[in-house]
Amino acid sequence: MVQEEVLAEVEDGNKMQIIASTGVKGGVGKSTFAILLAFKMLRQEKKIVLCDCDVECPNDYLILNQRLKNSKPIYQEFPELNEEICKKCGLCSKVCREHAIFWVENDYPKFILDLCTSCGACWISCPNKAINRKKEVAGKSSINKIKDNFWLITGQSKTGISETGPIVREVKERAIKFSKKINADYLIIDTSPGAHCNVIQALLNSDKVYAVTEPTPLGAYDLGVILELTKKLNLLTEIVLNKADVGNRMKIEKIAREFKSKISIEIPYSEKLIKTYCTGRLEKMVNLI
Amino acid sequence: MKIAVSATAGSLDAMIDPRFGRCAYFVIVEVEKNEIKKSESIQNPAATAMGGAGIQAAQLIVSKGAEVLIGGNIGPNAFGVLSSTGIKIVTGVGGISVREAVQRYLKGELKETRTPTTPGFGPGRGMGLGTGRGIGRGGRW
Repeated sequence: MVQEEVLAEVEDGNKMQIIASTGVKGGVGKSTFAILLAFKMLRQEKKIVLCDCDVECPNDYLILNQRLKNSKPIYQEFPELNEEICKKCGLCSKVCREHAIFWVENDYPKFILDLCTSCGACWISCPNKAINRKKEVAGKSSINKIKDNFWLITGQSKTGISETGPIVREVKERAIKFSKKINADYLIIDTSPGAHCNVIQALLNSDKVYAVTEPTPLGAYDLGVILELTKKLNLLTEIVLNKADVGNRMKIEKIAREFKSKISIEIPYSEKLIKTYCTGRLEKMVNLI
Repeated sequence: MKIAVSATAGSLDAMIDPRFGRCAYFVIVEVEKNEIKKSESIQNPAATAMGGAGIQAAQLIVSKGAEVLIGGNIGPNAFGVLSSTGIKIVTGVGGISVREAVQRYLKGELKETRTPTTPGFGPGRGMGLGTGRGIGRGGRW
C-alpha cells in the first residue's frame, strides 16, 4: 500500500499525530530530544511509537539500552535485463535521472546498481518490457517494546548502500502501519542529520517538525538550511534550542524571525543530562523539556 | 584513431583536468600515422551532475568513437563501464597540455591503467557491472 493511502486511513481512523525531530547538524540532540519527547508524552498517558529513521546509523535503541528485536528485512527492487527481449534502444539510459544506466549504441544497457535509487523509471519506460525487477535485501526494520505504551521502531540500511531514501520510506510506512494497529497517539520520527533525500523521506507528511539546534555559528547556519527545506515541504516547524544557556543565540533568533518560526523549547546545558544519556537513563530528565 | 583527453578548457593547449566525470571539457583528438590530424572540444555536460557523472561522461566519449582515454583519475563506476567497451584507459597524467599528453602517449611513454584510481564512496561501488550485482555489497550489516 502506498504511503498516501496509509496516511489517509490514519487520518480517517484516529487522530494520530506524526511529529519529527530533525536538524542538519550532527550531535545537536535530535535523538535526545526525540526520546525526551517520547517519555514526556508517555507521562501524559499517551501511546507512543518512536521511529528511528537515521537508517545509516540508528542509535535510539542504544540510548534506550536495547538490543534490536523482531527484525524484518527491507527489500529494494533493482533492474535486471532480459537480453533476449532487449532491443538495445537505450531509452532506459535516457530516462535514468541518476545516470545509473550506461548505454552506447548497438550494445545492451549496463545497470550501475550502486547509483540506483529504485525509482522504476527504467522498467516503466522500457517499450519491450525487457527489464525485470529483482528484489534484494537493502536493510531491516526492528520493533522493540520499551515499556507499556512505548514502542521503538528502528530502520537500518545495509552498510555500503549510498542511496538510503527508499529504506527510510519503507521503515516509515511500517511504523505508520504499526502505530495505527496499536492505536498510538503519537508517532515520533527521529531523522538523520542533513537535508538530503533520506531526511526528506523521513519528514514528509509530518504534522509538526521540531528543528533541533544549538547556539553556535554552525548550529545557526544549519538551522537556516533545515528551515528552508521544511518551508519548501510546507511543514509546520518549531525550533528546539539545545544548550540554550551557552553560546550566542542572536543568530538563532535572527534566523527564526526570517523564517517566522519560533523557539518553542529550550533545553539548558546540563551535565546531568549527558550522564543520563551515557547510561541509558534519559527518562529521568523529562522535566528539561 | 580517436583519443579523448579530459581538459580544463576546450583546446589542444589546455591543461589536463585531473578529474574524469567532472572535468570541464573533453578534447577528442584524431590521430593518423602517429600524428595529430584534428581535434574537437566538447564541454562536459556531466560536470555539474548530481550523481553518476562518471557514467554520463563515459557514455559521451564512447559515443564520440574514442578508443583511448587519457586523464588524471578515474573512479570505479566509469572505469568498469569503459573497460567493458574495450577503451584503453591511461590515468595519472597531469600538469601537461592535451597536445603533450597525446604526443607522449603516441611515443609509448604513457602506460595503460588496469584499475580505478579513486575509490568511489563505499565498499564495492562500481563493481555492479552488467546485469549482475557487484562484489562487496553483500557484506555485513
